[in-house]
Amino acid sequence: MDLVYFLIQQTLLFMIPLLIVALGGMFSERAGVVNIALEGIMVMGAFTSIFFINLTQTYMSGNAQLLIAILIAAVSGMAFSLFHAIAAVNLKADQTISGTALNMFAPAFAVFIARIVQTVQQIEFKNTFRIVEVPVLSKIPIIGEILFRNTYITTYIGILILILSSVVLYKTKFGLRLRACGENPHAANTAGIKVELIQYAGVLISGALAGIGGLVFVVPTSTNFNATVSGYGFLAVAVLIFGQWKPKYILFASFFFGFMKALSNSYASIPFLFALNIQSNIYKMIPYIATILVLIFTSKKSSAPRASGIPFDRMQR
Amino acid sequence: MKKLLSSVLALVMVLSLVACGQKQAATANGEKTSNKDAFELALVTDLGTIDDKSFNQGAWEGLVKYATEKGISHKYYQPQAAETNAYLETIELAIEGGAKLVVCPGFLFEEPVQLAQDKYPDVHFILLDAVPKEIKPNTMPILYQEDEAGFLAGYAAVKDGNTKLGFLGGVSVPAVVRFGFGYIQGIDAAAKELGKECEVVYNYTGQFAATPEAQALASSWYNAGTEVVFGCGGAVGNSAMSAAEGKNQQEGKFVAKVIGVDVDQYSESDTVITSAIKLLSNSVYDGITMFYDGNFPGGKVTTFNVKNNGVGAAMDHAKFETFSKVDYETLYNDLKSGKYTIFNDVAEYDPTKALTNLSNTKVTFIE
Repeated sequence: MDLVYFLIQQTLLFMIPLLIVALGGMFSERAGVVNIALEGIMVMGAFTSIFFINLTQTYMSGNAQLLIAILIAAVSGMAFSLFHAIAAVNLKADQTISGTALNMFAPAFAVFIARIVQTVQQIEFKNTFRIVEVPVLSKIPIIGEILFRNTYITTYIGILILILSSVVLYKTKFGLRLRACGENPHAANTAGIKVELIQYAGVLISGALAGIGGLVFVVPTSTNFNATVSGYGFLAVAVLIFGQWKPKYILFASFFFGFMKALSNSYASIPFLFALNIQSNIYKMIPYIATILVLIFTSKKSSAPRASGIPFDRMQR
Repeated sequence: MKKLLSSVLALVMVLSLVACGQKQAATANGEKTSNKDAFELALVTDLGTIDDKSFNQGAWEGLVKYATEKGISHKYYQPQAAETNAYLETIELAIEGGAKLVVCPGFLFEEPVQLAQDKYPDVHFILLDAVPKEIKPNTMPILYQEDEAGFLAGYAAVKDGNTKLGFLGGVSVPAVVRFGFGYIQGIDAAAKELGKECEVVYNYTGQFAATPEAQALASSWYNAGTEVVFGCGGAVGNSAMSAAEGKNQQEGKFVAKVIGVDVDQYSESDTVITSAIKLLSNSVYDGITMFYDGNFPGGKVTTFNVKNNGVGAAMDHAKFETFSKVDYETLYNDLKSGKYTIFNDVAEYDPTKALTNLSNTKVTFIE
């Protein structure tokens, strides 16, 4: 049973950043702006917030520090995504190109600044954020073991973001407008919605979430930040597509991706799986093959926002 | 308004250009003055800076040690970009600055040194971790026997009471494989002497980066009872450290440990008990000494190993419980005297296939 808990805890480490970033991507795409810059924004968010942790760790530690870092990651991610918003909304540029530009810029910028400030490009940090046990709650059978032991506050933030996202998207006026802009911006415009404003909001929310995702990605997995998030931004795009741009499916998709990732790395410690003698590469491949299959079978009635990726131009009808 | 704005912008740009121009003039002047008093010993940095806690810093420390002892002028140069041309230009800059001996740390210097050794036959080069295709008499390529460093670390870990160990390698390049093979054989040697049975889990992650995958793998090992993981390959070690920190915090005691690589990595995490190191500064120091003594070993590869104190396990900040410095000295001398023979042919990277004569160690290779 311990093994099952361990596997699920490991799954959460993979899953939470993917979930947060994919939800970020969802806000942007549902507003009609493709955001392939998630990877770059993650790097940027992780960079600024890890730098903050690095600078303050002599007199600060624990979850208070982490919460401030999360705030910094969100703000810097938002600021960075502003470039994408300007290019995509104001300048009506090709959104893939401006996203790619941000992806190329972010790691270079992180290395450059880190070298200037501290001569070494790796930014070291002390991980003082692990929660060994949440009092009382950890006594709940099963759920306590999974969610309230050996965990991070970011897990709860991830779940909170998921709930908030689905409420905002489906239960608020803003959510309705956002979805309208992604499906048919001209109709939305006719109805008196300021499409540009909504698209800005969508991109900025995705920036904030991707920034947080970058921090959440780095903290449990290393002791320093080396200007990379190992392609998890792109993986989040895959999760977004696999999740068909809907929060509940994104939750499922990120769990699936996270579980397969955890399995591919821990299978050797699970006796009956190791006995099967399947190479870890097989486990690693499954999520991607599944994504392709899902794309094949849903391409006819794909629920991708119809106007996603098409610059909104008032003149065109 | 727009016109005003653009003219202001233009002005700013012109001014910044002027500023740049002045700066360039300044560095040119600086170089001129440095030409007057020549710097005999020079080091051209690889990727990263002189205080990178790794290759550049180690080599530079060896150079500075000799230079200050003998009162020889010395200087380091940093290339503008990590490419052959920029490296070559910087080497030329060092030679114009009066360098008689240029130290080039890192495998990226293979090609620049290949070109420079022909162009400047009177200048000597020390090249670390790389061998040019054709070695001229004025070039001294230095390689390290990583298997011996791995052996020392593995042996020490088992002698200190650990029986379940892991090897988390980066890419299976020869250096990493040698580290790993030496590590396993060190474990086996110590296990044999203690009459214990040891288990080793062994994996190459496939990249030199800290990833959640590497962290999950190390976590799963620690969770299954592994006590020590040798994180061998750039930032891969940081994933192992992160996993170990997590395990220790969960258990509330020091049960998960890490062995660092290349340089003493004690400062990166409290979980690092020792590091399998290449003593860069020693080898550079020795190379320079031989150069000034008139017996520069150019034209052939010089291998640094325990015999010339070129590799080792870091003991200054080691966190062993029983394995002492005296034990380490004994082991080091035993290795020197040839008491142990280490198999280090890396044609086959799978240790379960390559290392067939292990007696007390069970290796599980995770593909």
